[in-house]
Amino acid sequence: MDHQLLHIFRNNPLGRETLLQSIYFCKKVGAFPVIYIPKTTKFLMYFDNDVVQVDLDKSYLDDGDTAQPHAAEILTQAGLEPRFLEPKHYTASTLPDIHTGFNYMCCPRSISDMSSKIGIGYIGPRVRRIVKSARFPVLIASPVFKPWNSIAVFFGGSVNAVKALRLGFHIARVSGLPLEIFTQIGKSSKEEYQRVVKDRNLEKDVDQYVTQWHYFENNNFENHLYEVPHDALVILGAYGHGVIKHMVVGSKWETIQETLGNNLLVVGPNFVAWR
Amino acid sequence: MKLTINEVAQSLRVPVSTVDRWIRQGRIPIQRTDNGYLVDESTLEKWAKMYKLPFSLPKKASDAKRQTPPDNLLPAMKRGGLLYNIKGDDRETALKNAVDNIHFLSDNIKDAMYQGLLEREHLTSTGVGKGVAIPHPRTPLKDLISNAIIATCFLAVPVDFHAIDGRPVFVMFILLSPSTKSHLHLLSRLSFCIRENAFVDFLKTTPDSTTFFSKIADFENRFAIGDRN
Amino acid sequence: MRILRWWRYPGNWPIFRFDDRLLLILMAVIVGIFSGLSSVVLNRSLLIMSEWLHRYQHFWWFFALPAAGAALSSLFLEKVVREGAGHGVPEVIYSVSRYGGLLRLRSSVTRLVSSCLTIGSGGSAGPEAPVVISGAAIGSNIAKYFSLNDRQRVALVGCGAGGAIASIFNAPIAGMVFAVEVIVGEWKSVNIVPIAIASVAGAEICRLLQGNQIPFGHHVFKIDFLNIVASLGLAVLSAAATILQTRMLRSMHTISHKVPAPMWVRAAIGGCMVGIIGLYLPVVLGEGYHWTEILIEGRYGQILTIVALASFAKIAATALTLGWGGSGGIFAPCLVIGSLVGVTYHHLLVLFWPSISWVNEGYYALLGMAGLISGMLQAPLTGIFLIVEITGGWQVIVPLIIVSVVTTTICHYFEPASYYLKDLVDHGHLLRPGTDERILSDLNVTELLEQDCVTVHPSMLLRDFVDIIKHSHRNYFPVEDEKTGDFLGIVHLDDIRPYLFDPVMYDTVFLGQIMRTQVEVVHPDDDVLDVVRKMDVKGLYSIPVVVNHKYLGLISKATILDQYRKELMVQCHLL
Repeated sequence: MDHQLLHIFRNNPLGRETLLQSIYFCKKVGAFPVIYIPKTTKFLMYFDNDVVQVDLDKSYLDDGDTAQPHAAEILTQAGLEPRFLEPKHYTASTLPDIHTGFNYMCCPRSISDMSSKIGIGYIGPRVRRIVKSARFPVLIASPVFKPWNSIAVFFGGSVNAVKALRLGFHIARVSGLPLEIFTQIGKSSKEEYQRVVKDRNLEKDVDQYVTQWHYFENNNFENHLYEVPHDALVILGAYGHGVIKHMVVGSKWETIQETLGNNLLVVGPNFVAWR
Repeated sequence: MKLTINEVAQSLRVPVSTVDRWIRQGRIPIQRTDNGYLVDESTLEKWAKMYKLPFSLPKKASDAKRQTPPDNLLPAMKRGGLLYNIKGDDRETALKNAVDNIHFLSDNIKDAMYQGLLEREHLTSTGVGKGVAIPHPRTPLKDLISNAIIATCFLAVPVDFHAIDGRPVFVMFILLSPSTKSHLHLLSRLSFCIRENAFVDFLKTTPDSTTFFSKIADFENRFAIGDRN
Repeated sequence: MRILRWWRYPGNWPIFRFDDRLLLILMAVIVGIFSGLSSVVLNRSLLIMSEWLHRYQHFWWFFALPAAGAALSSLFLEKVVREGAGHGVPEVIYSVSRYGGLLRLRSSVTRLVSSCLTIGSGGSAGPEAPVVISGAAIGSNIAKYFSLNDRQRVALVGCGAGGAIASIFNAPIAGMVFAVEVIVGEWKSVNIVPIAIASVAGAEICRLLQGNQIPFGHHVFKIDFLNIVASLGLAVLSAAATILQTRMLRSMHTISHKVPAPMWVRAAIGGCMVGIIGLYLPVVLGEGYHWTEILIEGRYGQILTIVALASFAKIAATALTLGWGGSGGIFAPCLVIGSLVGVTYHHLLVLFWPSISWVNEGYYALLGMAGLISGMLQAPLTGIFLIVEITGGWQVIVPLIIVSVVTTTICHYFEPASYYLKDLVDHGHLLRPGTDERILSDLNVTELLEQDCVTVHPSMLLRDFVDIIKHSHRNYFPVEDEKTGDFLGIVHLDDIRPYLFDPVMYDTVFLGQIMRTQVEVVHPDDDVLDVVRKMDVKGLYSIPVVVNHKYLGLISKATILDQYRKELMVQCHLL
């Protein structure tokens, strides 16, 4: 396994929780974390068709001298070898480029605004941009460390949902944890969703890994979310469309992230399955 | 015809990640869409030609399988059969008689083959010791035969083959193969058998074909186990 | 939704699929118009600012204005838009080199505002670099919006830059040449065509909105042979000025970074010094188009010492503005310095050979400008065409070429990389298409990975290993720990050759005893350039790739050659 997870370390107790979450995730999925300790509040991520400038909030730079030992200590305690990312290139002297060839990235719900904003129902604009552009899935960690023992995939039949389902199977395979699928029945019937799965040759995987496929029959999606186990890693696909579209069209993913406090693994529109 | 990105990579003989990058950089006429790629074979072929890149569609799986591994001892020996009581006082006559007795070869081939065997024999003796010789032509008989043949010839009287250990030869394995590869393969297996003294002693008993082939089959099984490990 | 989105993917339209030239031309028009507009906006606001500024020029506290402007612009860049004040044009070239021209959307506006603050308040800098960045960012983001690929995006970045220069100077050829020579660095029709179109569009927008006038009036000079010969001397002088300017900018940059103060305070200090110089020599203030015009017309009318002093003062002021954190470009100051140097040279000529009838000082001012621009950018063509176009002086083309070429050559001798490229070259970021660095930077380790090596364990007996050799194709055998799977070392066929024919050793030697443990390894994220260098230095032909102690594969020179060739063919063919 040579999967890597990018973690941007925030040197305070909140950041410690996030790092613990990353470590837990890595151990489950057989990846290893690569820690970036920011030296400036800004960095750039060059994706395939987008460049995202991430403006970190000030707390990332707090007490810079202890950041590396702190992170190293947490990792060593977890039995992992600390690996730190040194930016190779700089767009400007205060603007390092962080390369984007990772397999996962861990973000708290917000990295550019004050950490006081972190809570349920708010995902910062930078995190959204990263999700939108990234080739890798983004782990949106819950504010405090929360181990998970099962996997819940939200499947709505779209291309992205299929990608999310594939990712779910991958994680179920390497972690050996049970997987549940949740589907909100919309315009199409149950059979439609199963047909999508069949068309993508995923039937075998469904038989092998899925313990239960929940269908939400009526439209009260929010209430149904109570059925999602509290200790599950929630995997879902998300389109990165903006606030206005969200208000007009509505979006499952917004509802989910506003309601669930679980760890979310979000598959963006540019996610490419690993070969 | 539509190709998958993996097929494109195979056709151009580059890794998939390179094709992926070329698409991103716009070096190859393939477009990315929401759920996959737009690839057109003729466009791609034209493009490859323009850039002088090698481009050939990957062979279908069945074509690849056709290249079977070289024959093993048993079938080759069965094809060649066993010849007993080959007469001859020296190596030339013994060889001549043996070749003449190989019934399924036409006369002109026999002649060419005999010349070939003799030529090889003049370079160095094929007598490998312990009274065994493995005569074979120096160049493979590519056009004459399609499958490797080993004719096992027991001599009426042991003859001097100028062997390494000087012992007279009582049995010859005439080895004919269509390619160097199968030749080396069979030669290595045959010499493995001969290295075993028990087998040579067994040969000295001039066994009949059934016991002989079962003995060879035993060896084959041992090879098979060795291959698997 | 997909039905609504088809037009966002013009690259997928059937007509553009194999040949995207038409698409690029279409996009180039759009980019050219937008970048033209942005430069018109900046130009207009600078005009307004300078008129407003003019009123306060007589007050004693005037020197504080450039300080305030520079501080504000620095604050704006740092705090408001968090631009992370980069190098300006080099940032565009950097992105073109390394990331297929990806630029941030915010760059299309930020530099316009900040440079407007710096220059409008009297700082000595030019508006060209900001409009180039802005235009390039516009091009890049339009390409991003339409999901174009890297090559197309780079062409559009060039279009933006070309359109901007074309518009701000009303000089389409200069815009085109600048974009190709400085930004894209590849003279191929796929780039030149759209950039030319964008330059035309940019220039046309400028003409529509501001009227078709060339920035500096047209003059007729009577040039004889002697004046052409004399221009050689000017080339030497302008080369000296260029080198002085480059060195000064750099040293100011270093000095300012040693000052323990926030960025905006530094910018204010720089601005303040410029203001003080400006009190005595107002020629150094602002972008100086007005002064250039006066100089070309020969109306400056100062004695030799003053003109020479002014040249130095302008060089110092530019270095103070840009080196201490003001925002702006080097183009316009170069024009002013060039014309000052030209006039100085004319004065010198008159002083030493008063009997010869020299052409008036405007001619030398013009040549000086060409010299400075060519020398500073080390782009002789840009210098020649820009000056010809902004002055309408086609008859001076011969001495112009001489001065440009000679200056560039002399500057190149002292400063091998131009002002824009210096940092990029130093950090290995200048990757022009078709160069070795470019190809190696495009390839990555994963693409070169060969995974057909058979892995072995340290406790394996030589006898078993000999069996494995029989069935393998390669000479390298990576050794992995049985339990953890960690990479321990490598066995090369050469290592066991002496024991290979010694059956006694077969059962007595373990692989752990003969493997090489001090092996050079590389990481999949390493640059191929570094990998190749490592191999060259150590004289290796293959090098294992190891990540997190796990063996991934092998990189060998043979595969590198194979891939390198293909890459070169794909990058450098006719198109």
